[in-house]
Order: sequence, then C-alpha cells, then structure tokens
Amino acid sequence: MPSAPFSPPPIRLTATGCLTALGDAASTHAALLSHQRALQLHPVLGRDGGDSVPLALLPQRSLDETAPPNWLAHLDTLGAQIPAADWGSPRLPVFVTSSNFGVGSLYAFQRTRDPAHLASGTPFASVDRIRQHFGWGANVSILSHACVSAHLGLLLATRTLHAGLADRALVFTFDFVSPFVAGGFHALKILNNGFPAPYAARDTGSIGLGDGAAFAVLEHPDASPTAANTLLLHAQSLYNEMHHFTANRADGSGFATCLEPVAAAARDRRLWIKGHGTGTLEAGRLEADTLAQLFPDAPLVSWKGSLGHTLGSCGLVELALAVESLRDGRVPGTIGSEPPFFRDNVAAEPFSTAAFDAVLLTSNAFGGAHAATLLTPA
Amino acid sequence: MLHRHIVALRTDAPGAEDLAATRERLRDAFPRNATRRMTQLGLLLGGVLHDLAPTENDTVVYASVYGETRALEDYLTSFPTPSPTLFQTSIHPSGIQQVLIARQQPIRHFFPHTGQRHLVAHAVQSALLSPSPRTLLCGGEERGTWLLEHDAASGDTFAFALALSSDSANALGSLRLEQTTAAESALEAELRLPRFFSALAQREPLSHAVAPGLILTLSWN
Repeated sequence: MPSAPFSPPPIRLTATGCLTALGDAASTHAALLSHQRALQLHPVLGRDGGDSVPLALLPQRSLDETAPPNWLAHLDTLGAQIPAADWGSPRLPVFVTSSNFGVGSLYAFQRTRDPAHLASGTPFASVDRIRQHFGWGANVSILSHACVSAHLGLLLATRTLHAGLADRALVFTFDFVSPFVAGGFHALKILNNGFPAPYAARDTGSIGLGDGAAFAVLEHPDASPTAANTLLLHAQSLYNEMHHFTANRADGSGFATCLEPVAAAARDRRLWIKGHGTGTLEAGRLEADTLAQLFPDAPLVSWKGSLGHTLGSCGLVELALAVESLRDGRVPGTIGSEPPFFRDNVAAEPFSTAAFDAVLLTSNAFGGAHAATLLTPA
Repeated sequence: MLHRHIVALRTDAPGAEDLAATRERLRDAFPRNATRRMTQLGLLLGGVLHDLAPTENDTVVYASVYGETRALEDYLTSFPTPSPTLFQTSIHPSGIQQVLIARQQPIRHFFPHTGQRHLVAHAVQSALLSPSPRTLLCGGEERGTWLLEHDAASGDTFAFALALSSDSANALGSLRLEQTTAAESALEAELRLPRFFSALAQREPLSHAVAPGLILTLSWN
C-alpha cells in the first residue's frame, strides 16, 4: 500500500510563550542559562506525605488541588501573551493538548469527597474551564497522547491551516503535577529521591516532574508579509512503535524511523537538538545514540534536569524556550548533568546559536511514541 | 469540503456484559495470552479493529470522552499505595495502545482525541484531513462504576471502527464535513459520541451542524 507524505509542508510559527516553575519563557530561559534548577524535593503525595521526590511547581502552587483548580489563575500570565483574536471561532481554531488535564481534581475528590472538585476532573471539563476563563469560542479540539501531545496539536493545526479551514491556529497545552501523576511515576520507580541528570552515564536513572503550560500561534506561510525573524515549523514527524508500554525497541529503530523525514528536511543545515532527556537511563542512551548517528555534528541538550518533565506540555514548553534561545542567541546547556555522558554530543554548558541555522526538537512517550519537529528561519 | 468513503464498519455494544465475558467472546481477535490484562474498552476496540488490520501507513484517529474509566477508578482507589499497572493503563490512549502493542503493530500517525460536545466533529475532521490512503476512525467507552455515580464516566459500553478511503470501491457510505458561516450553524450545535455510535450501528443517516461552523453528513449506500 502506498504511503502518504510523512511531514506536512512548512507552517509559519508567529508567536510562542510558556509558563514554568521559573516563570515565563524569558525568565525561564535566563534562569536556565545560569544553571538554576527549579526542581525541589516534595512529599510525593502532598499533604498525605510519602517519599520525597523532585518536583518543580509554579510559585505558591500546592501539589494538593483546590476547587477551582489552583493552576487556573496562573494561566493568566500566559494568556496575556497570546495575540488577541477571536480564538475558538470557526476560522480561528484552538487545539488544546494535555496528558493529565484536571486529573488532580479527580484525585482531590477521591480523597476529600468534596463534589466541587468534579467540575474540573474530566478532560472536557478542565478544558471547558480554561476556554471560558479565556473567553474562547467553541472551536476547541482536544488531543491527548502523553508526552507527544503538544506535537500532535501542532501537526493537526498545520494540516487544518494547509487545508484552508483556518486563518490562524492557536495550540495551547497544560499539565500540572498532582499526587495522581507523581504517585504513579513513583510507583513505576522512575520518580525517586534522585534528581534527573539527562544523558549522564550513571548507575541509577531518575526523573523529575514539573508544571508546564505553553502556546503557539501558527499561520499559513503565504498568509501575510513575512516579518523579520519569522520562524517555520519546517518539518514535523510522528511515529508510534507500539512495542511496549514503557520501553522502546532496544535497537532505536522506532525513534530513527520518526527522525527520517526530518533528517531529510534538515540536510545541509547546521542543527542543534533539544532532546527529550527525562533522566531515565535506557531511553536516554537510546536517544543520545540515535541522534549522534543521524546528526553527528549536532549538540544535544535537555532542560528537564531543571524544569522536570512537564509531561503532555513538554513539546510546546520546550519549543517556546528554543524560540527564546534563538531570540537571545544563547542555548542553555543540559542542567543537572555532568560527564561522563552516553555520547559526546551532549552539551552540558550553554552555547551560542551563531553557528547554527536550525533546531530539531524531539519528544518521546509511553508506548514508544516519538515526535520530531524541525524549526528554521523563514 | 472534506470527504471520504466508508469502506468498512464494525460496531460492538455488549450491554451489561462483564469483562470476563467480553474477554471470552473476543479472545480469538488477539494473540494468545494477550488479553489477560486488557481492559474491557481495549478488548472491544481490538474486536472492532481485528479484521480491519491496521497497518503502519494507516492513520488512526481515536475518540473517547472518558477513556479507561475502570482503570482510572481502580487507580484512584489504590492510593495511598498507587498501582503502577493501573496508572499506566489509565493514561489516554491506553485502549488503542493495548490493542496495537498486543499485535506489535506500529502506526505512523495516531491522533487520540477527547472532549465531549464536539469530540465527534473534531475527530472526524482530524480523520478527513489525513493524507493517508486509509484512515481508521475508532472510538468507544466503557461503563463506569463510582465515577458514573458522579457523572464523570460513561453509562454505556461500546466501540466502533470505520475504515475511510478516497477510493469509492465497495463503499458502504460516506462521511463529509463542510465548513459553513456561523450564521448558518447554531452555537449550540453538537454531536456526542454515543449518538454518533448509534447512527453508525443503525446505519442511520445524519446531516446537521455538529459544532459551530461545521456540518457533518453521514450517508449510506
């Protein structure tokens, strides 16, 4: 059976922004450049205690959910950065992505039996709360696929624009830590009392979890005159191994298959790479090996050693930070890690963007889901 | 206008059938020993996808409002000693992953949607936007227990899968999605997943606004 094009045509990226435990994109970027680590030890079950694990929560936000959710007001600073438009109207769709949505509220209901938590507990209820908070219309699609969720939103928005169904598209993502998700990763034994050191060749792997939210505005490349410093999502690729829930194929073939269309688009470009790099060992080694083989001259960074893994929002949070890096001219290094690394391609220290003309951003998820996006100047 | 032909359709609505009965009924649709830890939703999805035989070059679009409700319920009640297996199983889109991992079947483009009022509209749009020669649009729910008591779960168990193609050979029907101006499309327009399932199962035609600005037409040959 013939195959379809694996990557859509390029799409213009006209605005991005993010919110992490270190602040907005500019504040987070500056903090990463100075090696600041947002992760701090917290009891895994919040007020119910448990082992101490590294989490990066928004300032003054508790792990224990409130009603209405304690993350909602924090989104105002992010919302203020979104270009004003009649978002959610038929020609201005919104694509919301998340892995956990308001599941912290369901956990809070189960724990307290306060029915007020149920108003935000399901995916559609939590998104509708955000939609009403920002005054968006009803044209809001919701996608959820763990840590590649944001990439799906970008790809679907791209297809929608290229099909002529929208004038601009807003992709919005959010994921806030709760005992539900912290307890789950702790039970899987990858969230423990160790801090993550992405791509470091050490004996024990550890992840951290972090709060994250972000947005991107996409436009058709032909829509309006190109402004200076316009960026393109030049190529986007997805691949789902469906090999095992918590492991990739050991030979890296699934990740490599995802990268092939992007590698073709990146030929003759000078890349730096924002990897997934959560701090786990096998997945981190596979990532570093595969990227080193396909892109031998590209330095690799991960910022999850500072920000934690922001789960479904990570693809878009880290895209916003990559855009900030291009604006600033400096790329933060891999916080929390030091040699020896799995491969020599890992950049521990910040470096200048001057020698590069493209960024490859990758994310990986449970079930062997992989996503890759190539970011270039227009 | 977006348009594809429906070249295959499978539906399953087992009523009050419990997990063990569903596992027994559908066991031939799975590799040996694969069903032991599967959820009822996963089993049903595997059943409706069985002879549609997903391939790597298909696009799979999956729609579920509540996803793995029973795993979610059981995971929540497993605290303060949370179960790693239930955590894993409760994460969307576990239902489809259970099926495809059991078959070791990679998929390049997989779009798991959730939502409520406009879930069908947006999942259909996602499917019809796919450039793949074949797109599998599937979805379903499993009946909840204590979450259902609080309106946070489905009251019904069902699953469906449609194979969509640009090729009209042997078509059963067609699925169209048309964008229209807001004045022609009521703001309260919606099409919920159970209603869509019912139309599929009954081969019922539909033609109405399913979201502000979107008109869906489901027709049968």
